[in-house]
Amino acid sequence: MFVLDEVSYIYDKGGAYQSQALDRVSLTVGDGEFIGLIGHTGSGKSTLIQLMDALLKPDSGTIYYNGEDINGSSYDRRKLRSEVGLVFQYPEHQLFEESVFKDVCFGPKNLGLSQKEQELRAYRALELTGLSKECFYQSPFDLSGGQKRRAAIAGVLSMEPKVFILDEPTAGLDPKGRKEILNLIRDLREKTGMTVILVSHSMDDVADYADRIIAMDKGRVFLDGTPKEVFAHAEELAEAGLSVPEVTAIVRMIADRGLPVDTSVTTIPEARDEILRILGR
Amino acid sequence: MKPLIDANSITYEYIRRDDEGNVEGITTALDHVDLQVKKGDFIAILGHNGSGKSTFAKLLNAILTPAEGTIYVDGFDTSDPANVWEVRRKAGMVFQNPDNQIIAQVVEEDVGFGPENLGVPTKEIWERVIESLKALGIYELRKKSPNRLSGGQKQRVSIAGVLAMHPECIILDEPTAMLDPRGRREVIRAVRALNDVENITIILITHYMEEIVNADRVFVMNEGKIAMEGTPREIFSRVEELQNLSLTVPAVTLLAHELKKAGVDLPDGVLTKEELVSCLF
Repeated sequence: MFVLDEVSYIYDKGGAYQSQALDRVSLTVGDGEFIGLIGHTGSGKSTLIQLMDALLKPDSGTIYYNGEDINGSSYDRRKLRSEVGLVFQYPEHQLFEESVFKDVCFGPKNLGLSQKEQELRAYRALELTGLSKECFYQSPFDLSGGQKRRAAIAGVLSMEPKVFILDEPTAGLDPKGRKEILNLIRDLREKTGMTVILVSHSMDDVADYADRIIAMDKGRVFLDGTPKEVFAHAEELAEAGLSVPEVTAIVRMIADRGLPVDTSVTTIPEARDEILRILGR
Repeated sequence: MKPLIDANSITYEYIRRDDEGNVEGITTALDHVDLQVKKGDFIAILGHNGSGKSTFAKLLNAILTPAEGTIYVDGFDTSDPANVWEVRRKAGMVFQNPDNQIIAQVVEEDVGFGPENLGVPTKEIWERVIESLKALGIYELRKKSPNRLSGGQKQRVSIAGVLAMHPECIILDEPTAMLDPRGRREVIRAVRALNDVENITIILITHYMEEIVNADRVFVMNEGKIAMEGTPREIFSRVEELQNLSLTVPAVTLLAHELKKAGVDLPDGVLTKEELVSCLF
Protein backbone atom coordinates (compact mmCIF):
# COMPACT_ATOMS: atom_id res chain seq x y z
CA MET A 1 0.00 0.00 0.00
CA PHE A 2 1.17 3.49 -0.86
CA VAL A 3 0.38 6.55 1.22
CA LEU A 4 1.43 9.97 -0.06
CA ASP A 5 1.27 12.69 2.52
CA GLU A 6 1.39 16.30 1.29
CA VAL A 7 4.01 15.51 -1.33
CA SER A 8 5.48 18.42 -3.30
CA TYR A 9 8.12 18.42 -5.98
CA ILE A 10 9.77 21.37 -7.69
CA TYR A 11 11.05 20.76 -11.19
CA ASP A 12 14.43 22.26 -12.13
CA LYS A 13 14.81 23.81 -8.70
CA GLY A 14 16.85 27.01 -8.90
CA GLY A 15 17.09 26.67 -12.68
CA ALA A 16 15.61 28.70 -15.50
CA TYR A 17 12.57 26.45 -15.86
CA GLN A 18 11.68 26.07 -12.21
CA SER A 19 8.07 25.07 -11.71
CA GLN A 20 5.91 23.38 -9.12
CA ALA A 21 5.46 19.93 -10.67
CA LEU A 22 3.62 18.50 -7.69
CA ASP A 23 1.80 20.56 -5.13
CA ARG A 24 0.93 18.94 -1.76
CA VAL A 25 -0.51 15.73 -3.13
CA SER A 26 -2.06 13.34 -0.62
CA LEU A 27 -3.16 9.97 -1.84
CA THR A 28 -3.66 6.38 -0.75
CA VAL A 29 -3.26 3.50 -3.16
CA GLY A 30 -4.58 0.21 -1.80
CA ASP A 31 -3.33 -3.26 -2.74
CA GLY A 32 -4.88 -4.72 -5.87
CA GLU A 33 -6.44 -1.49 -7.13
CA PHE A 34 -6.61 -0.73 -10.86
CA ILE A 35 -6.08 3.00 -11.13
CA GLY A 36 -6.28 5.15 -14.24
CA LEU A 37 -4.11 8.24 -13.86
CA ILE A 38 -5.15 11.04 -16.20
CA GLY A 39 -3.97 14.59 -16.72
CA HIS A 40 -2.85 16.94 -19.44
CA THR A 41 0.85 16.96 -20.39
CA GLY A 42 2.67 18.79 -17.62
CA SER A 43 0.00 18.09 -15.00
CA GLY A 44 2.40 16.12 -12.82
CA LYS A 45 1.51 12.49 -13.69
CA SER A 46 5.01 11.46 -14.67
CA THR A 47 6.54 13.22 -11.67
CA LEU A 48 4.11 11.39 -9.40
CA ILE A 49 4.99 7.94 -10.69
CA GLN A 50 8.71 8.64 -10.57
CA LEU A 51 8.36 9.72 -6.95
CA MET A 52 6.56 6.45 -6.17
CA ASP A 53 9.51 4.50 -7.50
CA ALA A 54 11.96 6.75 -5.59
CA LEU A 55 13.54 7.92 -8.84
CA LEU A 56 12.84 11.45 -7.61
CA LYS A 57 12.87 12.73 -4.05
CA PRO A 58 10.05 14.99 -2.86
CA ASP A 59 10.95 18.53 -1.83
CA SER A 60 8.49 18.20 1.00
CA GLY A 61 6.03 15.62 2.27
CA THR A 62 6.45 11.90 2.78
CA ILE A 63 5.77 8.79 0.73
CA TYR A 64 5.10 5.57 2.63
CA TYR A 65 5.19 2.15 1.04
CA ASN A 66 3.77 -0.51 3.35
CA GLY A 67 4.18 1.85 6.25
CA GLU A 68 7.80 2.80 5.65
CA ASP A 69 9.13 6.15 4.43
CA ILE A 70 10.74 5.31 1.08
CA ASN A 71 13.08 8.27 1.33
CA GLY A 72 14.24 7.38 4.84
CA SER A 73 18.00 7.08 5.25
CA SER A 74 17.99 3.36 6.01
CA TYR A 75 15.24 2.40 3.55
CA ASP A 76 16.09 -0.31 1.01
CA ARG A 77 15.20 1.41 -2.25
CA ARG A 78 16.55 -1.48 -4.28
CA LYS A 79 13.87 -3.66 -2.76
CA LEU A 80 11.24 -0.98 -3.42
CA ARG A 81 12.15 -0.94 -7.10
CA SER A 82 11.93 -4.71 -7.28
CA GLU A 83 8.39 -4.51 -5.92
CA VAL A 84 7.25 -1.40 -7.78
CA GLY A 85 7.70 -2.04 -11.48
CA LEU A 86 7.69 1.01 -13.71
CA VAL A 87 7.15 0.73 -17.46
CA PHE A 88 8.18 3.97 -19.11
CA GLN A 89 6.76 5.40 -22.32
CA TYR A 90 8.07 3.59 -25.39
CA PRO A 91 9.73 0.95 -23.18
CA GLU A 92 10.98 -0.90 -26.26
CA HIS A 93 13.60 1.82 -26.67
CA GLN A 94 15.28 0.24 -23.66
CA LEU A 95 15.61 -3.23 -25.17
CA PHE A 96 19.31 -3.92 -25.67
CA GLU A 97 20.23 -7.60 -25.35
CA GLU A 98 20.88 -9.93 -28.25
CA SER A 99 17.82 -12.03 -27.53
CA VAL A 100 14.45 -11.27 -26.00
CA PHE A 101 15.01 -13.93 -23.35
CA LYS A 102 18.35 -12.45 -22.25
CA ASP A 103 16.81 -9.00 -22.15
CA VAL A 104 14.05 -10.16 -19.84
CA CYS A 105 16.61 -11.91 -17.59
CA PHE A 106 18.40 -8.60 -17.02
CA GLY A 107 16.10 -7.45 -14.19
CA PRO A 108 16.16 -10.67 -12.16
CA LYS A 109 19.94 -10.85 -12.70
CA ASN A 110 20.31 -7.45 -11.09
CA LEU A 111 18.23 -8.66 -8.18
CA GLY A 112 21.07 -11.11 -7.56
CA LEU A 113 19.00 -14.22 -8.21
CA SER A 114 20.54 -17.52 -9.27
CA GLN A 115 20.74 -18.21 -12.98
CA LYS A 116 18.05 -20.85 -12.71
CA GLU A 117 15.69 -18.49 -10.91
CA GLN A 118 16.46 -15.71 -13.42
CA GLU A 119 15.56 -17.93 -16.33
CA LEU A 120 12.47 -19.27 -14.63
CA ARG A 121 11.22 -15.78 -13.98
CA ALA A 122 12.01 -14.59 -17.49
CA TYR A 123 10.19 -17.56 -18.93
CA ARG A 124 7.16 -16.98 -16.72
CA ALA A 125 7.06 -13.27 -17.55
CA LEU A 126 7.29 -13.88 -21.29
CA GLU A 127 4.56 -16.50 -21.11
CA LEU A 128 2.32 -14.08 -19.21
CA THR A 129 2.65 -11.49 -21.95
CA GLY A 130 1.40 -13.97 -24.52
CA LEU A 131 4.45 -13.55 -26.73
CA SER A 132 4.84 -16.64 -28.92
CA LYS A 133 7.75 -18.93 -28.11
CA GLU A 134 9.49 -18.37 -31.45
CA CYS A 135 10.09 -14.79 -30.34
CA PHE A 136 11.91 -15.72 -27.12
CA TYR A 137 15.30 -16.32 -28.70
CA GLN A 138 15.05 -13.77 -31.50
CA SER A 139 16.74 -10.41 -31.43
CA PRO A 140 14.29 -7.93 -29.92
CA PHE A 141 14.98 -5.70 -32.92
CA ASP A 142 13.44 -8.22 -35.32
CA LEU A 143 10.05 -8.08 -33.61
CA SER A 144 7.05 -5.98 -34.63
CA GLY A 145 6.14 -2.86 -32.65
CA GLY A 146 3.49 -4.65 -30.59
CA GLN A 147 5.77 -7.60 -29.88
CA LYS A 148 8.63 -5.32 -28.80
CA ARG A 149 6.26 -3.58 -26.42
CA ARG A 150 5.31 -6.94 -24.91
CA ALA A 151 8.94 -7.98 -24.58
CA ALA A 152 9.73 -4.72 -22.78
CA ILE A 153 6.76 -5.20 -20.45
CA ALA A 154 7.99 -8.73 -19.74
CA GLY A 155 11.31 -7.19 -18.69
CA VAL A 156 9.54 -5.42 -15.84
CA LEU A 157 7.18 -8.30 -15.07
CA SER A 158 10.14 -10.62 -14.53
CA MET A 159 10.88 -8.63 -11.39
CA GLU A 160 7.47 -9.93 -10.22
CA PRO A 161 6.32 -6.52 -9.05
CA LYS A 162 3.51 -6.06 -6.55
CA VAL A 163 2.73 -2.64 -7.96
CA PHE A 164 2.82 -2.24 -11.72
CA ILE A 165 2.95 1.32 -13.07
CA LEU A 166 2.67 1.90 -16.80
CA ASP A 167 3.16 5.28 -18.47
CA GLU A 168 1.04 5.32 -21.62
CA PRO A 169 1.73 1.71 -22.55
CA THR A 170 -0.34 1.91 -25.74
CA ALA A 171 1.23 5.04 -27.27
CA GLY A 172 2.02 4.61 -30.94
CA LEU A 173 0.35 1.22 -31.33
CA ASP A 174 -2.42 0.47 -33.81
CA PRO A 175 -5.98 -0.10 -32.51
CA LYS A 176 -5.56 -3.85 -32.26
CA GLY A 177 -2.20 -3.53 -30.52
CA ARG A 178 -3.69 -1.04 -28.06
CA LYS A 179 -6.51 -3.36 -27.15
CA GLU A 180 -4.18 -6.33 -26.78
CA ILE A 181 -1.88 -4.48 -24.38
CA LEU A 182 -4.80 -3.23 -22.26
CA ASN A 183 -6.36 -6.70 -22.12
CA LEU A 184 -2.96 -8.07 -21.17
CA ILE A 185 -2.69 -5.63 -18.26
CA ARG A 186 -6.19 -6.56 -17.08
CA ASP A 187 -5.41 -10.28 -17.30
CA LEU A 188 -2.10 -9.86 -15.48
CA ARG A 189 -3.81 -8.11 -12.63
CA GLU A 190 -6.46 -10.81 -12.41
CA LYS A 191 -3.82 -13.56 -12.41
CA THR A 192 -1.34 -11.97 -10.01
CA GLY A 193 -3.51 -9.65 -7.91
CA MET A 194 -1.01 -6.85 -8.31
CA THR A 195 -1.84 -3.16 -8.06
CA VAL A 196 -1.96 -1.42 -11.44
CA ILE A 197 -1.51 2.29 -12.12
CA LEU A 198 -2.18 3.08 -15.76
CA VAL A 199 -1.22 6.51 -17.05
CA SER A 200 -3.31 7.26 -20.11
CA HIS A 201 -4.49 10.04 -22.38
CA SER A 202 -7.50 8.02 -23.48
CA MET A 203 -10.61 8.65 -21.42
CA ASP A 204 -12.31 5.76 -23.20
CA ASP A 205 -9.55 3.36 -22.13
CA VAL A 206 -9.48 4.34 -18.45
CA ALA A 207 -13.29 4.23 -18.36
CA ASP A 208 -13.23 0.69 -19.78
CA TYR A 209 -10.41 -0.73 -17.68
CA ALA A 210 -9.82 1.14 -14.41
CA ASP A 211 -11.82 0.85 -11.18
CA ARG A 212 -10.62 4.18 -9.90
CA ILE A 213 -9.54 7.31 -11.72
CA ILE A 214 -7.20 9.97 -10.43
CA ALA A 215 -7.24 13.20 -12.43
CA MET A 216 -4.41 15.70 -12.11
CA ASP A 217 -4.05 19.33 -13.08
CA LYS A 218 -1.24 21.79 -12.31
CA GLY A 219 0.47 19.41 -9.92
CA ARG A 220 -2.63 18.64 -7.87
CA VAL A 221 -5.14 15.83 -7.73
CA PHE A 222 -8.46 17.49 -8.52
CA LEU A 223 -10.69 14.45 -8.97
CA ASP A 224 -10.42 10.97 -7.47
CA GLY A 225 -13.11 8.31 -7.61
CA THR A 226 -14.78 5.63 -9.71
CA PRO A 227 -14.99 6.33 -13.46
CA LYS A 228 -18.64 7.29 -13.01
CA GLU A 229 -17.85 9.72 -10.21
CA VAL A 230 -14.95 11.35 -12.04
CA PHE A 231 -16.64 11.59 -15.43
CA ALA A 232 -19.65 13.29 -13.87
CA HIS A 233 -17.44 16.40 -13.72
CA ALA A 234 -17.33 17.18 -17.44
CA GLU A 235 -16.80 20.94 -17.03
CA GLU A 236 -13.93 20.65 -14.54
CA LEU A 237 -12.27 18.04 -16.73
CA ALA A 238 -12.56 20.31 -19.76
CA GLU A 239 -10.97 23.17 -17.81
CA ALA A 240 -8.01 20.90 -17.07
CA GLY A 241 -7.61 20.07 -20.76
CA LEU A 242 -9.23 16.66 -20.30
CA SER A 243 -12.55 15.31 -21.46
CA VAL A 244 -15.14 12.64 -20.76
CA PRO A 245 -15.43 9.40 -22.75
CA GLU A 246 -17.13 9.89 -26.13
CA VAL A 247 -20.24 8.03 -25.07
CA THR A 248 -20.56 10.12 -21.90
CA ALA A 249 -20.45 13.23 -24.09
CA ILE A 250 -23.22 11.75 -26.24
CA VAL A 251 -25.58 11.01 -23.36
CA ARG A 252 -24.91 14.47 -21.97
CA MET A 253 -26.00 15.94 -25.30
CA ILE A 254 -29.16 13.86 -25.08
CA ALA A 255 -29.76 15.15 -21.55
CA ASP A 256 -29.31 18.72 -22.83
CA ARG A 257 -32.33 18.10 -25.03
CA GLY A 258 -34.35 17.60 -21.87
CA LEU A 259 -34.59 13.83 -22.00
CA PRO A 260 -34.40 11.83 -18.75
CA VAL A 261 -31.18 10.00 -19.56
CA ASP A 262 -28.68 8.75 -16.99
CA THR A 263 -25.51 10.72 -17.79
CA SER A 264 -23.25 8.54 -15.66
CA VAL A 265 -22.64 5.99 -18.42
CA THR A 266 -19.01 5.63 -19.47
CA THR A 267 -18.88 2.57 -21.76
CA ILE A 268 -20.44 1.69 -25.11
CA PRO A 269 -22.64 -1.18 -23.80
CA GLU A 270 -23.93 1.06 -20.99
CA ALA A 271 -24.68 3.86 -23.43
CA ARG A 272 -26.45 1.47 -25.79
CA ASP A 273 -28.66 0.10 -23.00
CA GLU A 274 -29.44 3.54 -21.63
CA ILE A 275 -30.41 4.93 -25.05
CA LEU A 276 -32.54 1.86 -25.75
CA ARG A 277 -34.23 2.35 -22.38
CA ILE A 278 -35.26 5.94 -23.06
CA LEU A 279 -36.34 4.99 -26.57
CA GLY A 280 -38.68 2.56 -24.79
CA ARG A 281 -37.21 -0.67 -26.19
CA MET B 1 -7.46 16.59 -65.11
CA LYS B 2 -4.27 14.65 -64.53
CA PRO B 3 -4.01 13.33 -60.97
CA LEU B 4 -1.33 14.92 -58.77
CA ILE B 5 -0.25 11.50 -57.58
CA ASP B 6 -0.59 8.58 -59.90
CA ALA B 7 0.57 5.19 -58.63
CA ASN B 8 0.22 2.36 -61.12
CA SER B 9 0.47 -1.21 -59.97
CA ILE B 10 3.37 -0.53 -57.61
CA THR B 11 5.10 -3.33 -55.78
CA TYR B 12 7.77 -3.05 -53.12
CA GLU B 13 9.63 -5.85 -51.39
CA TYR B 14 11.91 -5.86 -48.38
CA ILE B 15 14.62 -8.42 -48.88
CA ARG B 16 16.30 -9.88 -45.80
CA ARG B 17 19.84 -11.13 -46.25
CA ASP B 18 22.11 -13.14 -43.96
CA ASP B 19 25.73 -12.21 -43.12
CA GLU B 20 27.00 -13.53 -46.46
CA GLY B 21 24.43 -11.55 -48.41
CA ASN B 22 22.30 -14.54 -49.36
CA VAL B 23 18.59 -13.87 -49.52
CA GLU B 24 16.88 -15.18 -46.38
CA GLY B 25 13.39 -14.05 -47.08
CA ILE B 26 11.25 -11.56 -48.94
CA THR B 27 8.43 -9.52 -47.44
CA THR B 28 6.09 -7.96 -49.94
CA ALA B 29 5.18 -4.64 -48.38
CA LEU B 30 3.17 -3.39 -51.35
CA ASP B 31 1.51 -5.67 -53.82
CA HIS B 32 0.38 -4.08 -57.10
CA VAL B 33 -1.19 -0.98 -55.59
CA ASP B 34 -3.08 1.49 -57.76
CA LEU B 35 -3.90 4.84 -56.22
CA GLN B 36 -4.65 8.23 -57.69
CA VAL B 37 -4.91 11.49 -55.76
CA LYS B 38 -6.41 14.63 -57.25
CA LYS B 39 -4.93 18.03 -56.50
CA GLY B 40 -6.51 19.60 -53.44
CA ASP B 41 -7.84 16.31 -52.03
CA PHE B 42 -7.63 15.28 -48.41
CA ILE B 43 -6.79 11.58 -48.42
CA ALA B 44 -6.53 9.33 -45.39
CA ILE B 45 -4.76 5.99 -45.30
CA LEU B 46 -5.59 3.50 -42.57
CA GLY B 47 -4.21 0.09 -41.83
CA HIS B 48 -2.72 -1.85 -38.93
CA ASN B 49 1.03 -1.90 -38.25
CA GLY B 50 2.81 -3.67 -41.08
CA SER B 51 0.02 -3.19 -43.62
CA GLY B 52 2.24 -1.20 -46.00
CA LYS B 53 1.10 2.36 -45.23
CA SER B 54 4.50 3.78 -44.37
CA THR B 55 6.19 2.06 -47.29
CA PHE B 56 3.66 3.70 -49.55
CA ALA B 57 4.40 7.10 -48.01
CA LYS B 58 8.13 6.65 -48.57
CA LEU B 59 7.52 5.78 -52.21
CA LEU B 60 5.59 9.02 -52.73
CA ASN B 61 8.60 10.99 -51.59
CA ALA B 62 11.19 8.96 -53.55
CA ILE B 63 12.81 7.80 -50.32
CA LEU B 64 12.09 4.37 -51.78
CA THR B 65 11.40 3.56 -55.41
CA PRO B 66 9.03 0.81 -56.53
CA ALA B 67 10.37 -2.58 -57.55
CA GLU B 68 7.61 -2.78 -60.13
CA GLY B 69 5.13 -0.22 -61.42
CA THR B 70 5.44 3.54 -61.59
CA ILE B 71 4.56 6.54 -59.46
CA TYR B 72 4.19 9.98 -60.92
CA VAL B 73 4.12 13.02 -58.67
CA ASP B 74 2.76 15.97 -60.63
CA GLY B 75 4.00 14.30 -63.78
CA PHE B 76 7.48 13.41 -62.49
CA ASP B 77 8.43 9.73 -62.40
CA THR B 78 9.86 9.07 -58.91
CA SER B 79 12.03 6.22 -60.20
CA ASP B 80 14.14 8.57 -62.31
CA PRO B 81 17.02 9.80 -60.10
CA ALA B 82 17.04 13.07 -62.04
CA ASN B 83 13.57 13.85 -60.64
CA VAL B 84 14.31 13.27 -56.95
CA TRP B 85 14.66 16.94 -56.00
CA GLU B 86 11.58 17.94 -57.91
CA VAL B 87 9.53 15.09 -56.38
CA ARG B 88 10.64 15.95 -52.85
CA ARG B 89 9.86 19.61 -53.33
CA LYS B 90 6.38 18.80 -54.57
CA ALA B 91 5.61 16.11 -52.02
CA GLY B 92 6.80 17.03 -48.53
CA MET B 93 6.86 14.54 -45.73
CA VAL B 94 6.15 14.77 -41.99
CA PHE B 95 7.03 11.83 -39.72
CA GLN B 96 5.80 10.52 -36.39
CA ASN B 97 8.44 11.93 -34.08
CA PRO B 98 8.99 15.70 -34.39
CA ASP B 99 12.25 15.39 -32.43
CA ASN B 100 13.75 13.49 -35.36
CA GLN B 101 13.08 16.21 -37.89
CA ILE B 102 13.76 19.46 -36.07
CA ILE B 103 17.40 20.47 -36.44
CA ALA B 104 17.82 24.17 -35.66
CA GLN B 105 18.06 25.92 -32.29
CA VAL B 106 15.40 28.49 -33.11
CA VAL B 107 11.96 27.79 -34.59
CA GLU B 108 12.18 30.27 -37.48
CA GLU B 109 15.60 28.95 -38.53
CA ASP B 110 14.26 25.43 -38.58
CA VAL B 111 11.38 26.44 -40.82
CA GLY B 112 13.80 28.28 -43.13
CA PHE B 113 16.08 25.25 -43.55
CA GLY B 114 14.04 23.67 -46.35
CA PRO B 115 13.75 26.71 -48.65
CA GLU B 116 17.40 27.57 -47.95
CA ASN B 117 18.40 24.18 -49.32
CA LEU B 118 16.29 24.81 -52.38
CA GLY B 119 18.38 27.91 -53.06
CA VAL B 120 15.56 30.36 -52.44
CA PRO B 121 16.82 33.99 -52.13
CA THR B 122 17.21 35.11 -48.50
CA LYS B 123 14.49 37.74 -48.60
CA GLU B 124 12.00 35.25 -49.96
CA ILE B 125 13.04 32.63 -47.37
CA TRP B 126 11.95 35.00 -44.61
CA GLU B 127 8.67 35.71 -46.36
CA ARG B 128 8.02 32.01 -46.65
CA VAL B 129 8.99 31.36 -43.02
CA ILE B 130 6.59 34.01 -41.75
CA GLU B 131 3.78 32.88 -43.99
CA SER B 132 4.26 29.21 -43.00
CA LEU B 133 4.43 29.98 -39.29
CA LYS B 134 1.22 31.98 -39.57
CA ALA B 135 -0.54 29.23 -41.51
CA LEU B 136 0.25 26.79 -38.69
CA GLY B 137 -0.71 29.26 -35.96
CA ILE B 138 2.76 29.31 -34.38
CA TYR B 139 4.04 32.72 -35.49
CA GLU B 140 4.39 33.84 -31.86
CA LEU B 141 6.76 30.93 -31.19
CA ARG B 142 9.23 31.92 -33.94
CA LYS B 143 12.05 33.02 -31.61
CA LYS B 144 11.73 30.05 -29.25
CA SER B 145 13.93 27.02 -28.95
CA PRO B 146 12.12 23.95 -30.30
CA ASN B 147 13.22 22.06 -27.16
CA ARG B 148 10.85 24.08 -25.03
CA LEU B 149 7.75 23.47 -27.13
CA SER B 150 4.96 20.97 -26.55
CA GLY B 151 4.62 17.97 -28.84
CA GLY B 152 1.79 19.55 -30.81
CA GLN B 153 3.76 22.75 -31.27
CA LYS B 154 6.87 20.86 -32.36
CA GLN B 155 4.91 18.87 -34.89
CA ARG B 156 3.46 22.10 -36.28
CA VAL B 157 7.01 23.44 -36.61
CA SER B 158 7.86 20.34 -38.68
CA ILE B 159 4.84 20.92 -40.89
CA ALA B 160 5.71 24.61 -41.28
CA GLY B 161 9.18 23.55 -42.41
CA VAL B 162 7.62 21.44 -45.15
CA LEU B 163 5.11 24.15 -46.07
CA ALA B 164 7.91 26.69 -46.54
CA MET B 165 9.17 24.56 -49.42
CA HIS B 166 5.87 25.33 -51.18
CA PRO B 167 4.87 21.73 -51.82
CA GLU B 168 1.84 20.65 -53.82
CA CYS B 169 1.21 17.88 -51.36
CA ILE B 170 2.10 17.04 -47.76
CA ILE B 171 2.29 13.43 -46.62
CA LEU B 172 1.92 12.95 -42.88
CA ASP B 173 2.90 9.54 -41.51
CA GLU B 174 1.17 9.15 -38.14
CA PRO B 175 1.89 12.75 -37.19
CA THR B 176 -0.13 12.54 -33.97
CA ALA B 177 0.94 9.13 -32.66
CA MET B 178 3.21 10.61 -30.00
CA LEU B 179 1.00 13.55 -29.01
CA ASP B 180 -1.50 14.07 -26.22
CA PRO B 181 -5.15 14.81 -27.09
CA ARG B 182 -4.63 18.58 -27.15
CA GLY B 183 -1.57 18.27 -29.39
CA ARG B 184 -3.49 15.94 -31.68
CA ARG B 185 -6.30 18.43 -32.07
CA GLU B 186 -3.85 21.26 -32.80
CA VAL B 187 -2.11 19.31 -35.52
CA ILE B 188 -5.25 17.97 -37.18
CA ARG B 189 -6.88 21.40 -37.15
CA ALA B 190 -3.76 22.90 -38.75
CA VAL B 191 -3.64 20.18 -41.39
CA ARG B 192 -7.28 20.71 -42.26
CA ALA B 193 -6.71 24.44 -42.58
CA LEU B 194 -3.81 23.85 -44.98
CA ASN B 195 -6.16 21.79 -47.11
CA ASP B 196 -9.11 24.18 -46.93
CA VAL B 197 -7.34 27.51 -47.10
CA GLU B 198 -4.08 26.87 -48.94
CA ASN B 199 -5.51 24.08 -51.09
CA ILE B 200 -2.56 21.82 -50.29
CA THR B 201 -3.19 18.17 -51.08
CA ILE B 202 -3.00 16.12 -47.88
CA ILE B 203 -2.23 12.45 -47.43
CA LEU B 204 -2.75 11.59 -43.79
CA ILE B 205 -1.68 8.20 -42.47
CA THR B 206 -3.09 7.53 -39.03
CA HIS B 207 -4.41 5.05 -36.48
CA TYR B 208 -6.86 7.52 -35.01
CA MET B 209 -10.22 7.11 -36.69
CA GLU B 210 -11.54 10.43 -35.38
CA GLU B 211 -8.92 12.26 -37.45
CA ILE B 212 -10.19 11.09 -40.82
CA VAL B 213 -13.85 12.01 -40.47
CA ASN B 214 -13.29 15.05 -42.69
CA ALA B 215 -11.24 13.33 -45.37
CA ASP B 216 -12.49 13.33 -48.96
CA ARG B 217 -11.47 9.74 -49.45
CA VAL B 218 -10.17 6.95 -47.25
CA PHE B 219 -8.02 4.00 -48.27
CA VAL B 220 -7.65 1.02 -45.95
CA MET B 221 -4.55 -1.05 -46.50
CA ASN B 222 -4.02 -4.66 -45.56
CA GLU B 223 -1.12 -6.96 -46.42
CA GLY B 224 0.22 -4.57 -49.00
CA LYS B 225 -3.04 -4.15 -50.87
CA ILE B 226 -5.85 -1.64 -50.79
CA ALA B 227 -8.59 -3.52 -48.97
CA MET B 228 -11.24 -0.80 -48.80
CA GLU B 229 -11.76 2.57 -50.44
CA GLY B 230 -14.46 5.20 -50.10
CA THR B 231 -15.69 8.24 -48.22
CA PRO B 232 -15.36 8.15 -44.42
CA ARG B 233 -19.08 7.42 -44.21
CA GLU B 234 -18.84 4.51 -46.62
CA ILE B 235 -15.81 3.09 -44.82
CA PHE B 236 -17.28 3.47 -41.34
CA SER B 237 -20.49 1.74 -42.46
CA ARG B 238 -18.48 -1.44 -42.72
CA VAL B 239 -17.76 -1.94 -39.01
CA GLU B 240 -17.24 -5.71 -39.05
CA GLU B 241 -14.97 -5.55 -42.08
CA LEU B 242 -12.79 -2.94 -40.38
CA GLN B 243 -12.63 -5.03 -37.23
CA ASN B 244 -11.49 -8.00 -39.28
CA LEU B 245 -8.66 -5.82 -40.57
CA SER B 246 -7.58 -5.14 -36.94
CA LEU B 247 -8.99 -1.64 -37.09
CA THR B 248 -11.80 0.01 -35.23
CA VAL B 249 -14.27 2.81 -35.81
CA PRO B 250 -14.81 5.97 -33.73
CA ALA B 251 -16.71 5.34 -30.48
CA VAL B 252 -19.76 7.25 -31.78
CA THR B 253 -19.88 5.12 -34.94
CA LEU B 254 -19.57 1.96 -32.87
CA LEU B 255 -22.37 3.04 -30.53
CA ALA B 256 -24.61 3.81 -33.53
CA HIS B 257 -23.75 0.40 -34.98
CA GLU B 258 -24.69 -1.31 -31.70
CA LEU B 259 -27.99 0.58 -31.55
CA LYS B 260 -28.73 -0.35 -35.14
CA LYS B 261 -28.12 -4.00 -34.34
CA ALA B 262 -30.63 -3.67 -31.49
CA GLY B 263 -33.24 -2.51 -34.02
CA VAL B 264 -32.97 1.28 -33.85
CA ASP B 265 -33.49 2.94 -37.22
CA LEU B 266 -30.24 4.79 -37.96
CA PRO B 267 -28.26 5.52 -41.13
CA ASP B 268 -25.01 3.66 -41.77
CA GLY B 269 -21.68 5.16 -40.82
CA VAL B 270 -22.69 7.86 -38.34
CA LEU B 271 -19.62 10.06 -37.94
CA THR B 272 -20.30 12.67 -35.28
CA LYS B 273 -21.99 12.94 -31.90
CA GLU B 274 -24.28 15.69 -33.17
CA GLU B 275 -25.40 13.55 -36.07
CA LEU B 276 -26.18 10.59 -33.83
CA VAL B 277 -28.17 12.62 -31.32
CA SER B 278 -30.22 14.37 -34.00
CA CYS B 279 -30.93 11.06 -35.74
CA LEU B 280 -32.12 9.55 -32.46
CA PHE B 281 -34.31 12.32 -31.06
